[in-house]
Amino acid sequence: MMCEQCGKNLATTHVHTVINGVSTQKNLCTYCAVADGYAGLHSGNLMNMLSTVFGESLDAHSSSNEKRCSCCGATFSDIVESGRAGCADCYRVFGPQLMSSLQRLHGKTKHVGKVPQSASGELKIAACLQKLKDELANAVANEEFENAAKLRDQIKQIEAGEKHE
Amino acid sequence: MSKWYEFNTSGIVVSTRVRLARNLAGVPFPGRMNEAQRAEVNKKIIDAIINVPSSLSKELKVVEMDTISDAAALAMVERHIISPAFARNRKNRRLILSDDESISIMLGEEDHIRIQVIKGGLQLSEAYEIADKIDTLISESLTIAFDEQLGFLTECPTNLGTGLRASVMLHLPALESTGEVSQLADAVSKIGLTIRGMYGEGSGSKASLYQLSNQVTLGISEKTALDNLKSITMQMIEREQATCKNLDKISLEDSVFRSFGTLKNARILSSDEMMQYVSQIKLGERLQIIKLKDENLPIKLMIETQPAMMALNLQVQNATERDIERAKIFREQLA
Repeated sequence: MMCEQCGKNLATTHVHTVINGVSTQKNLCTYCAVADGYAGLHSGNLMNMLSTVFGESLDAHSSSNEKRCSCCGATFSDIVESGRAGCADCYRVFGPQLMSSLQRLHGKTKHVGKVPQSASGELKIAACLQKLKDELANAVANEEFENAAKLRDQIKQIEAGEKHE
Repeated sequence: MSKWYEFNTSGIVVSTRVRLARNLAGVPFPGRMNEAQRAEVNKKIIDAIINVPSSLSKELKVVEMDTISDAAALAMVERHIISPAFARNRKNRRLILSDDESISIMLGEEDHIRIQVIKGGLQLSEAYEIADKIDTLISESLTIAFDEQLGFLTECPTNLGTGLRASVMLHLPALESTGEVSQLADAVSKIGLTIRGMYGEGSGSKASLYQLSNQVTLGISEKTALDNLKSITMQMIEREQATCKNLDKISLEDSVFRSFGTLKNARILSSDEMMQYVSQIKLGERLQIIKLKDENLPIKLMIETQPAMMALNLQVQNATERDIERAKIFREQLA
């Protein structure tokens, strides 16, 4: 059965309403169900909560309908329905559509912290600097001034090296 | 070999768990992998961790999850070394496990790699250091899925960024009895943490055990996340201690001794009953109302007499037999 609202996708949400004895039935796809405010029907588990979060950024749904990730074959609707990305590339392919949801989920959209060995040299230096600065703040807070001086010198050295390059 | 839960579990913080979610670049996440890809990814990771000379590789072994029984898998969940989802779907799944089971690395759970380190007591930085070392070891020979903006890329967007989920298991009988736990749940949610009952639905908990963990993983460094969690944990400890002091002394002692008496004498002990009484003797031991031969005994016995653990160790399958055996274990151990 196709969604009776957009007629494009499979109807996966069936809403049966009885108001003053009058019964009506709606058959909707995930997008239209979310758009009509029925996302709450699925609440109760994390995955559905996530689809609700993603569902709110479905404005591009008609145009990106057929776009597939070239690595794993997932579509944006696959990600919305499962609340899971198909592969690492999905984040690149569907990045712009996901960004506002990630903002809502985490409050921020820029990674801070460890970078893997395989990351670029520049990234690694930035992460290393951040780590040293954290340690410096800690050392100052704990009044370990000798250690703090050493850390400050290390930070200066790295920053000078960056400028030099 | 002794297990992680036989040490340092007698305080308010029963245990600390740190988990890192990682994936290999260029391969679909486990949810969209075929079996050939799964086998290849497993092999690569095992090679990167076990088949390289390191101090770690010696104490780790590989468990082929599809060759073990349902009871053995469920008993692993009861020992907190794997997730229920990993126990349910074991086809071509591999687990890398240390002798004391404090390190468990699930391959093919929600992500290609889930590194978990669990320790008794409050040991956040110690546990993270070990997980971090394993992560670095893997990334020396394999390319990890990573993005400058989004950090480590994970199947579920709730883990993006550091991929770090850190948690502490807290024993909070006093805060539970005053109803403060539910108020604290609201408060910690505002600072990116969550608290939920262990061994129970919703916010309730069978043995007053609660899990406090970080929720946000993107835009917050590992260190800040661990520091936040530690600072809230310290506050929880203080509150629980302060609330304990205000409890009615004679009712508290009555409850502890009744629980102790039941555990030492019962002939039939259901799992729910056991949890309730163990919580009381754990509290009694901590407040020096009773003295046990080993202060870690409550948690050790609680884990070892869970249903699947008993089915596995004693070959008892039906519930009545199990309750009789459970009572026997408690009588012997607390005598």
